[in-house]
Amino acid sequence: MRTFADSNPIAATIYFLTVSGIAMFAANPVISAISLIGAVVLFVMNNGRKSVSTHLFSAALFAVMALLNPLVSHNGATVLFVMNNNPVTLEALIYGICSALTVVAVLYWFHSFSQIMTSDKLLYLFGALSPKLALTLSMALRYVPLFGTQIKKTHASQKALGLYKDDNIVDSFKGGMRIFSVMITWALENGIITADSMTARGYGMGKRSRFSLFRFKAEDIFLICAAVVFSVLSIYGIIGAEFEFYPYISVPAVTARLAVGYASYGVMILLPVIIGVKEELKWKYLKSKI
Amino acid sequence: MEILKVENLNFTYPLTASPAVSNVSFSVNKGEFVAVCGATGSGKSTLLRLLKREISPLGETSGSIIFDGTDIEKLAPEKSASGIGFVMQNPEHQLVTDTVWHELAFGLENLNLPQNVMARRIAETASYFGIENWYDKKVSELSGGQKQLLCLAAVMVMNPQVLVLDEPTSRLDPIAASEFVATLKKLNRELSLTIIISEHRLEEVIPACDRLLVLENGLVKAFDTPQKAMLKLDEKLLRAMPAAVQLFRAVGGRGECPLDIRDGRRFIEEIFGSSITALPVSEYIHHENIAMRFKNVFFRYERNLPDVLKGLNITVYENEIFCILGGNGSGKTTTLSIAANLVKPYSGTVEIFGKKLKEYKNQSLYRNCLTLLPQDVQTVFMRNTVREELEGAEAEVEMLPFDFAKHMDKHPYDLSGGEQQLVALAKVLASKPKLLILDEPTKGIDADSKYRLVSILKQLKADGMTILIVTHDTEFACECADRCALLFRGELVSEAVPREFFSDNNFYTTAISRMTRGIYSNAVSVDDAVKLYNLNEGGEKPCL
Repeated sequence: MRTFADSNPIAATIYFLTVSGIAMFAANPVISAISLIGAVVLFVMNNGRKSVSTHLFSAALFAVMALLNPLVSHNGATVLFVMNNNPVTLEALIYGICSALTVVAVLYWFHSFSQIMTSDKLLYLFGALSPKLALTLSMALRYVPLFGTQIKKTHASQKALGLYKDDNIVDSFKGGMRIFSVMITWALENGIITADSMTARGYGMGKRSRFSLFRFKAEDIFLICAAVVFSVLSIYGIIGAEFEFYPYISVPAVTARLAVGYASYGVMILLPVIIGVKEELKWKYLKSKI
Repeated sequence: MEILKVENLNFTYPLTASPAVSNVSFSVNKGEFVAVCGATGSGKSTLLRLLKREISPLGETSGSIIFDGTDIEKLAPEKSASGIGFVMQNPEHQLVTDTVWHELAFGLENLNLPQNVMARRIAETASYFGIENWYDKKVSELSGGQKQLLCLAAVMVMNPQVLVLDEPTSRLDPIAASEFVATLKKLNRELSLTIIISEHRLEEVIPACDRLLVLENGLVKAFDTPQKAMLKLDEKLLRAMPAAVQLFRAVGGRGECPLDIRDGRRFIEEIFGSSITALPVSEYIHHENIAMRFKNVFFRYERNLPDVLKGLNITVYENEIFCILGGNGSGKTTTLSIAANLVKPYSGTVEIFGKKLKEYKNQSLYRNCLTLLPQDVQTVFMRNTVREELEGAEAEVEMLPFDFAKHMDKHPYDLSGGEQQLVALAKVLASKPKLLILDEPTKGIDADSKYRLVSILKQLKADGMTILIVTHDTEFACECADRCALLFRGELVSEAVPREFFSDNNFYTTAISRMTRGIYSNAVSVDDAVKLYNLNEGGEKPCL
């Protein structure tokens, strides 16, 4: 069964970038609210009832950001009360709530994005930009942990050889420095073996192709097209309809154009849910036949 | 059909007077399995590297190497890269990328092949080598044997016609090593792949090979079927050979030389007398004082992981050589780490010379008391030359019967495995330990160095040292131990003097013990078998 998380990484990235980008730059509380709903739904779909702590953290962040703005910003005409000779205004509070909405929504999107994009997928993405970069990253991911393990092993064997004369910090720091310097030699010496192993397998002959675990399927094309079409529609819809907070709050009138913008964004954030539900139904149907 | 032909090959490294490879000529037919043997420094690695253009060493070369009808210098880059596969010694550093699938793809990517071709080749290679189950894994999660198998598969995916291997199993434990050789045999038999391999551990390679190339100081000493080549070996090279060969040569056998256990047994049945079936046994008397004692030791690496040691009890007496044998993951290295106070057990006590570990304050455990030579000897070296290394540690070089002189100004990493081991040992001995602990000291060293190591350890024991060794190597344990023990799932399951230990074991034992099972009751080493042969000499069956 294929879920949204199994989408081609490029398609998934385009989707996440457009969805969160519109929420970030629209400065439109309605869009932010829709975005937050979609992001939370996707997150819950992926994580189930676990990660209560994430929700608690988000709620706390929301509260702090919403309440901090009126304490700092004193713009706005409607004074609620005066604190320490500073007016706390309704407009600043609303603005705080709206911007907190946007930030929390974008955080949820990024959270889901980082859960879905495993290191293999990220490498695939970088590889799409530059195959050399992808190989370098893959080699670094191999080498850095190897270096770390070797440091630990060297430390243990030097300890048993009596490198450390005493149980004190200065001595262990000196020993640590010596181990680090010898590790540089180790890396260079053994790097020669890696280089040989690479040239022996034909590295450096010229153009390289790139093997990847991910293909483009019909669903991925659909996802990309839908993301592009709906984001163009929603940007077209919401452009020009600006919310103003200071000195008075002014909400743009809901025209047909703006309604199309909201509706398009609404459909867009529901795409993962739609895919998920569709697959779920298909699976239930297929399972009933097994 | 001839696939590879080497003619009058000479090679001299820069700034050296004598050639590393001189006047070497041989040819290899398609589908042949050729083993290359020779002492350290005989030019094995140089010769093998010369066969692979991409990594051939820099220096002065003359002569020619013809691969599939073309001089390798004139091969197209793609043909050269994929036609001749090369597998090196160290699996850890041959691996380039972080995941198994990417490692398999690496060579194909270099050949600039399209995705669908790569996908097919990777899929069939992965299933042939049984890699499917760990295809998505990180290479850091693999065992040493799996890593080397991956290195082999990553070369085989490029579909080479000739596979060259330079001591591929020297860093593996014996079980992984014999699995690796079995895979090579399978490749040779099923795909008629031409294989050229140099190796320290020849017990399995020799019976599998069609021809043996013996090198001595860069010259070809023999290039013949293994049975015939065996007759031309000198004593030093003979030590690396299968036990059956050593026995055959030691008793001056004539006719076809036996190569494996089965033929060795037949040879013994044919010409050895059996009126005396056992060697006289002298009782082993240990010292009264205890050097190291584990009492009911339990250990696990993390709270939620399973126990590695489960109530381990060990007693090592002063002035004895105690060998712990056991498979992978049985807790051998962990036991040593606990003895050296590098990790702490969660229950049980460890005493070193009658004093509990925690009573050794301020690193005093490591001063003139106990020292550990780890498995990876590269972790021992901290300086740029052997001289600095030994002088820095105030090592007394004279006490080791090994000529360090010509290696003094080399970087320790540039020495052979056996030489590295001896330099590391010299450095470790500088702290004048009473208890020397060695972790797999025979890993990656040649037969001659192993022989030398046995005599060094015996000398150290004669000087009063206690030695605790963890090893996979049954022949080595049989040669040097006073007592052996088998560690299984975190407990010692048997403990005896080597003769008793190895003649009681059925599987975990020496080649000679397997060969003489049922004929002699307690022969465990080549020397034992030779002694029995001599005792029975003039018996009912005459020597052929």
